[in-house]
Amino acid sequence: MVIEQYVTTPKYNFPQPSMDTSLPQRFVELSLNSLRQVRGQNFQLNQQLIQQDSPHDFSMTLQLSRQPISLSPKTKNTLIAAVDTSTIKIGETSTGIIIAVRGANVWKQDRSYHYRRLGPFIFHVTEDNKKEVYNALEKSYFTTQYSYCHQTTPNLLQMPTRLASLLERWLQTMIARIAKDGILLFDGSLTSGTADTPVQRMCDILSTARLHGNIVLAFSKATCLRANGYLITDLLPERDPPYLLETTGVKFKPPTVLLGDVYVARLNKAKLAFRLDVDKEIPFSNRVEAVERLIGNDLYLQSYPETLRLAHILCTFTANEVLAIQHFITRNHGIQIVNRPDMHRLLFGPFGRGEGYA
Amino acid sequence: MKLYRKEGNILQILSFPNDNSEKGDYLLVDDADAGKALIAQVIDVQFAAIPGVLEELLRTLPDGGEPIQGEDIDPLEIAPHITYIQDASLLVCKIRATLENGMLTPSSSWLPSRSQSTIKKLSIPMLTKLARMDGNLPVILGGTKDGSLLTIDASAIDGTLNIITGKKGCGKSHLSKLMMVSMVGYKATVVVFDLNGEYSSLGMTADGKRNMYYDKIHALTPGQNFKVALDQLHLNVVMGILIHALHLPGTSAREFRRLWKQLKDNGKLSLSALGDAIRNLNCNQHVRDALASRFHSLVNSGFFTDSPVEATMLEECLLKAKDNGGAVIVNLKNTNNIDRQIVVEYVLGKLVDSLQSWKLKAVFLFAEEAHLYLRETYWDDIVTRMRHFGIFTTFITNQPDTIKDGIYRQADNIFLFNFTNEHDLEVVSRAARVDAETVKSIARDLPPHHCLTLGRAVSDFPIVTRVRALDLRTMGETRLFFKDAKVSVGCA
Repeated sequence: MVIEQYVTTPKYNFPQPSMDTSLPQRFVELSLNSLRQVRGQNFQLNQQLIQQDSPHDFSMTLQLSRQPISLSPKTKNTLIAAVDTSTIKIGETSTGIIIAVRGANVWKQDRSYHYRRLGPFIFHVTEDNKKEVYNALEKSYFTTQYSYCHQTTPNLLQMPTRLASLLERWLQTMIARIAKDGILLFDGSLTSGTADTPVQRMCDILSTARLHGNIVLAFSKATCLRANGYLITDLLPERDPPYLLETTGVKFKPPTVLLGDVYVARLNKAKLAFRLDVDKEIPFSNRVEAVERLIGNDLYLQSYPETLRLAHILCTFTANEVLAIQHFITRNHGIQIVNRPDMHRLLFGPFGRGEGYA
Repeated sequence: MKLYRKEGNILQILSFPNDNSEKGDYLLVDDADAGKALIAQVIDVQFAAIPGVLEELLRTLPDGGEPIQGEDIDPLEIAPHITYIQDASLLVCKIRATLENGMLTPSSSWLPSRSQSTIKKLSIPMLTKLARMDGNLPVILGGTKDGSLLTIDASAIDGTLNIITGKKGCGKSHLSKLMMVSMVGYKATVVVFDLNGEYSSLGMTADGKRNMYYDKIHALTPGQNFKVALDQLHLNVVMGILIHALHLPGTSAREFRRLWKQLKDNGKLSLSALGDAIRNLNCNQHVRDALASRFHSLVNSGFFTDSPVEATMLEECLLKAKDNGGAVIVNLKNTNNIDRQIVVEYVLGKLVDSLQSWKLKAVFLFAEEAHLYLRETYWDDIVTRMRHFGIFTTFITNQPDTIKDGIYRQADNIFLFNFTNEHDLEVVSRAARVDAETVKSIARDLPPHHCLTLGRAVSDFPIVTRVRALDLRTMGETRLFFKDAKVSVGCA
């Protein structure tokens, strides 16, 4: 069946009516256009499914305070909202790759969780259209053009994370505008100046959040930051949680810029701690209070906020969904699945563990 | 549908929601390149092991078991594809035959192509055509799931041993009545041991009018319109009653045989003469007492008479039924256990006599809950010896373990209704003409009035049927205490 015309679904109402929704619509249009180009081609299933990775940090002269900042939960009713996105490579065509992107917003209000999922959007990205797709999406929403983006042509293999990152930034901007006096939880760090996160864009998101009385807390599931050779999340003092450990001297090589101050957060008795970036512009007392409001309002079973965990769970692609997406592109866009042999398997038999392994 | 796996004669087929296959359905797995097709029957429907389904289900329940409230904005409408994949099912199928050049062979030794085979549903009419189930004497059992009628040939019940079984209230007696009147319709002679008095009115429609079977149904109630004069009895029949129903010991039996012959030779064979002869018998006291007690049992049954007017000629009823078809209903409803056995011994003995002397060609015997009146040795007799005389039995029971294993193994047709009890299913699955998996899997899920037909009647292709309704007065309803109370309570 050929999709000749795209019609916005009636329930497509995210964000609220006052919000600018041009990015998702553009996502849909570009998604469908890119799939039309691949119509009738064969495609090879992805032999290794890669979910989005966090960017690596590069720390320099980092010091970790040995004096924990004690936290006491503040139960004052506070909106907790989280954003996360996920991307996955569905397969390859002779000219490019087919990827899927999805984002999720989860918020906790009045003791119950709510979510809004956006996507999946499916793109056929080729060497020919990758720049066009990326720039068109960026231009359609982010009115401010950042020179950094135009200098870099994304690598085809980086496109999944770049598109997911674009969606994530948009969702973060939206939540920063909609929420009032809330705690906004981002996945990852507040590092910017990277290919997919221009400094100005992150600054804009943070300032929008501040303007609406929100405080951004960014949790990293994994970090490379080390103090005295040890991962900062491993250097936990013998002190009853919850607490924060402050860091100093975190510096990145230009053009990477850190827009937050880095802490280690251990929120409950589980022997787990996470890197926590808090907007630099927020006064110290407000930062601590924000974390205290977070632990007073959200669940944190493994020292990780439930709202952010749900956002991650809801946007992650399951194997079932990947099959469904393959089914969708086969049925709706006439793309035939071919099973090209995995060279690693072919050459090395049981010793070839797939292309993702060296 | 896609062929997924074959192990022995079991096929596993991946099916998607719009395929809509259920237990009991037939599928044709056609390998055009091989020029052959497998005919397989769905015996179980399971969820396909789709990767990621567990994660999918888990993430909808993260908040203490309550579904998280939310909205999915899915502009490309992928969600229906997700549910489509998620709801994929695995059909476990039993291979029934191979179709090659229009001929069916019971083979499952070849492997159809997994990638090239096409799988489609095989309708029951197509299956019956392929299996050549149609004949000249159609008996419509009922409707199948695909809306067609299941018709078996009456000749498939001819010369066979049949079992109708299922749990209480699922329609066994109804099917046996349907089969019985169908056989009568084809001018067959039928004898029914009617334990609950529910066959006597089959000559009437549900609203009490006479139907086409009215003149062909001969209801005999022992002690009422069914009595026997001693001089009508053959010695073998009487000896059968005394030995098997009344457990007369060998010595006494010998003495009785001598007495009987003496009375017969003198032309004085009557109840009163027999009673006098026993009383005056000059023999061992124990023998005389044994004979006297059996004699009183015969008298007390009310089944025997000295009045030739009262005596009903069973043979006459049978001969009437022989010419135009008919059913002799032996109503055992208000008969006690001993009397029931006396009557059954008499009827069976008489049938064997009539068949041996070719007065009758063959008889279709319908026996409800036969364990309540059939003596041990008769079971084997029925499946071996009596079959050769021309007694073709259909057992109807809701207690399958009361029928001996040997009967199941030799049953030609089994009409199986719902059973939920594992033990019952285990017993039925011993039948030779069916595999245990089919019985256990399909019979457990049969709705009321649905019957799984197995065996010769369906050319060994088990078929599920909803047994058709009959416009007959069946009289088989359970008497309920609260039936009227419901109405009055409702009114109050």
